[in-house]
Amino acid sequence: MQRNGSLLGSSFRFLTGALLITWLVLPLIPLAIWSFAKGWFYPSLLPKMWSLKAWKYAFSDTSGVLDSLWLTIGISLAATFLSVLVGVPAGRALGMYQFKGKSAVELLILAPMIVPGIAVVLGIHSVFISMGLTNSVPGVILVHLIPTIPYMVLVMAGIFANYDPAFESQARSLGASAPKTFWYVTLPAIMPGIIVGGLFAFLVSWSQYILTLLIGGGRVVTLPLLLFNFATSGRNDITGAIGMIYILPGIIILILTAKHLSGRSGAVGGFGQI
Amino acid sequence: MSDRFKIGLLLFPALSIIVVLFFGGLLVGLMRSFNYMPVIGLTQPDLSAYVSVFTDKEFYLSFLLTFHIAFTSTVISCILAVAAALLLRRQFIGRAVVNFLFQLNLTVPHLVGAIGILYLFSQSGSFARLAAEWGMIAGPSDFPALVFDPYAIGIILQYVWKEVPFIGVIVLANMQSIGEDYESVARSLGASRWQAFRHVLLPLIFPGMLSASVMVFAFTFGAYEIPAILGANYPAALPVLAYRHYTDVDLAARPEAMAMAIIIALLSAVMIYFYVRFSRQRVRS
Amino acid sequence: MTHVSLKQLTKIYPGSIEPSLDQLSLEIASGELTALLGPSGCGKTTTMKMIAGLLEPTAGDVTFDGRSVLRDKPEHRGVVMVFQNYLLFPYMSVAANIGFGLKMRKIDQTEIDRRVSEMLDLVKLPDLGARRPSELSGGQQQRVALARALIVQPNVLLLDEPLSNLDAHLRFEMRDLIRNLQQDMGITTIFVTHDQEEAVVLADKVALILDGRLKQYDVPSAFYSRPVDKATALFFGGQNFLAGTVNDDQFVTRFGSLRLSEKTPNGPGTLTIRPENIRIGSTADGRNSVVASLIDKIYLGTQTRLQCQVGETQLQVIANPNDVLEYEPGQNIPLLFPENALWVLQS
Repeated sequence: MQRNGSLLGSSFRFLTGALLITWLVLPLIPLAIWSFAKGWFYPSLLPKMWSLKAWKYAFSDTSGVLDSLWLTIGISLAATFLSVLVGVPAGRALGMYQFKGKSAVELLILAPMIVPGIAVVLGIHSVFISMGLTNSVPGVILVHLIPTIPYMVLVMAGIFANYDPAFESQARSLGASAPKTFWYVTLPAIMPGIIVGGLFAFLVSWSQYILTLLIGGGRVVTLPLLLFNFATSGRNDITGAIGMIYILPGIIILILTAKHLSGRSGAVGGFGQI
Repeated sequence: MSDRFKIGLLLFPALSIIVVLFFGGLLVGLMRSFNYMPVIGLTQPDLSAYVSVFTDKEFYLSFLLTFHIAFTSTVISCILAVAAALLLRRQFIGRAVVNFLFQLNLTVPHLVGAIGILYLFSQSGSFARLAAEWGMIAGPSDFPALVFDPYAIGIILQYVWKEVPFIGVIVLANMQSIGEDYESVARSLGASRWQAFRHVLLPLIFPGMLSASVMVFAFTFGAYEIPAILGANYPAALPVLAYRHYTDVDLAARPEAMAMAIIIALLSAVMIYFYVRFSRQRVRS
Repeated sequence: MTHVSLKQLTKIYPGSIEPSLDQLSLEIASGELTALLGPSGCGKTTTMKMIAGLLEPTAGDVTFDGRSVLRDKPEHRGVVMVFQNYLLFPYMSVAANIGFGLKMRKIDQTEIDRRVSEMLDLVKLPDLGARRPSELSGGQQQRVALARALIVQPNVLLLDEPLSNLDAHLRFEMRDLIRNLQQDMGITTIFVTHDQEEAVVLADKVALILDGRLKQYDVPSAFYSRPVDKATALFFGGQNFLAGTVNDDQFVTRFGSLRLSEKTPNGPGTLTIRPENIRIGSTADGRNSVVASLIDKIYLGTQTRLQCQVGETQLQVIANPNDVLEYEPGQNIPLLFPENALWVLQS
């Protein structure tokens, strides 16, 4: 407050800020360097030789990285699409209406956001076995809905809480049918919410590990599984390249939606799971 | 169409998926942990899985370790997040960069952070190399074990890296909507800077801070891939132990894995209780 | 009892070129109740925060009894600020809110309890100590905020728009409460407001600030009878401005001369008279009387507003409804300008 302008205060803030910046980017740096390194052994601080080998390998047809990338994108898109489909109506119910049992419904939806995947996925796995859903892409998509739907519902509930349904009544009174009203009035109004919520739901699905590992049974190898395998087998250069590819959608989505990513929007709550 | 019916119809798809998958999964897990599964001929529930879990020393070590990881990470992240939010409230050179990195960090999956921490802090990692460069260590084994270590330092470092921005962004938004006037009032009534923070700002941000921390605690208690990459083999974190039991060649270990999953779920139920309590409080004030 | 002076106080916020407050100098006598009046954004709240030590001035000085307080931290200035929206701490009881300042001074809890209950009586809320602020009405919250400020016995009390969030009948109650407490305790009090009515009903003296500059610092009635310029007159609801020339205590206009009671230097000027000071009728000798044409007549209950025209000049008149019953729009109406109600503005 009073001493805000003082030199001491501002240089202290600058130094702590610089420290914070360093710490925030630090873990990403060795990953980035490794992806261009050729034999980077202890105790060299930087690689003696640079190469694009890891990237070439990652983008080659034989490595499976690209297959895994398309598979992961497909799974996340499907999970996002399904979440939007069921999340928008549920968000409307929670955002626009007061009803008996609402807090119980909210609790049901909140629970999967807090309870870790490992606690439920073992039970799901033993049921999915009997249904033939294990080791399959549909099974993985289905199980990804557990973290993505609650998230989508919460975002949409926030959108609908600030939405005035009188516009719909106005459209109906002007002669629009119910589907036309939805298409021309409701959808444009909630579209920004759907886009932001959808992008974040995509990221939530994109980052799932244990759900995919168990239900996919090692047959459905999404990018995080591949990354984990390379990381634990000591292929640091390829790990670095896959790691860089893996964080790319998040960065793109961040640039698209930066203003929605402040803690003020309920959207940020779901980032505890990524 | 009555409102009740309409609301029911709107909620039905989402709720049915969540109830069937999530609560179904929990229920099946619960039944299997009691060795009860009529479909496959197990009709006599028993407590054998819990007995063997609770008589196993590794479980206790694992539980303590996991609790230590979750508790320590949450407390450290929370303190640093509040400090960072206080910093970000002020104008300084580089603030926009910190803000951007906070948000960037939210989108980077934990797994990537874990690998980054591994490359930084392992005994042949970047910091070990720096130490060697400065002649502080003779060889990799002289560097303190910060990953795969019994105190889970690497795991905690990873969580702190990832959760400081998460709690920080929420607390910062909280502080911005509260504004600075409450503290100004306190100062003009005679509170020192510290008193204004301690008696005014902290109680105001407390509910938001706590509900974010509850999410962090539940996540760090139940995450698998981070301790799987950075943790020691023995004792392993509870989710890792549960996974190992579940995928054990000996199918008899599965109910034990289920029992551990149920224990994790119970702990998260306690977290949900706190979350609901504090987020309600936040709405009220 | 503290004499407050502001000396050339200036604030330029970082990143802006225009000063938010431009060289404000004011002498506020001990125990006086002063209003800083001006439209929103004119630098009033900035001034208060600088007096309270919550904001650092770009230039100038604030002194209490001749001693500069700029280096004193806010908690050591003996200045308490009451914000417009009260800002009661929501998680504390009313009693804890009032006792806050004493707790910060590490005063014994039993002593705090005693003084809090004294304060509650003083602001006429004796039984509400255990409530939460959210359970109180706006007027009650205002009293609690006032009690919370007064309990620390400040040298200077700052009030931000103290009446503006209250409805009409509460305003008078609160005005009396503030005036009585302020006079009993003899605390030098400064409040800011954008509402001229709030300023005149509450303050001993009013400082009008327009565009970050002090226009006039005077007793409230002076702003109606002797505004320094047209902007000031307009701010206080002045509507009638006549161009002309002063010539030996006569104001010469196109439609005749008006006699002035105040000594006024000769030369061109603008004459102003308040709508409520123009009378209907004429003097026996026709001095200071004109015949105007009545354009419009609006009945407002306790008064009637007339719109008249003399030559090119529009005049607004507020009259007693009974005095103007016989006049209808389109007719002529005699207007009388009492000489002690006329004031020539500096150009």
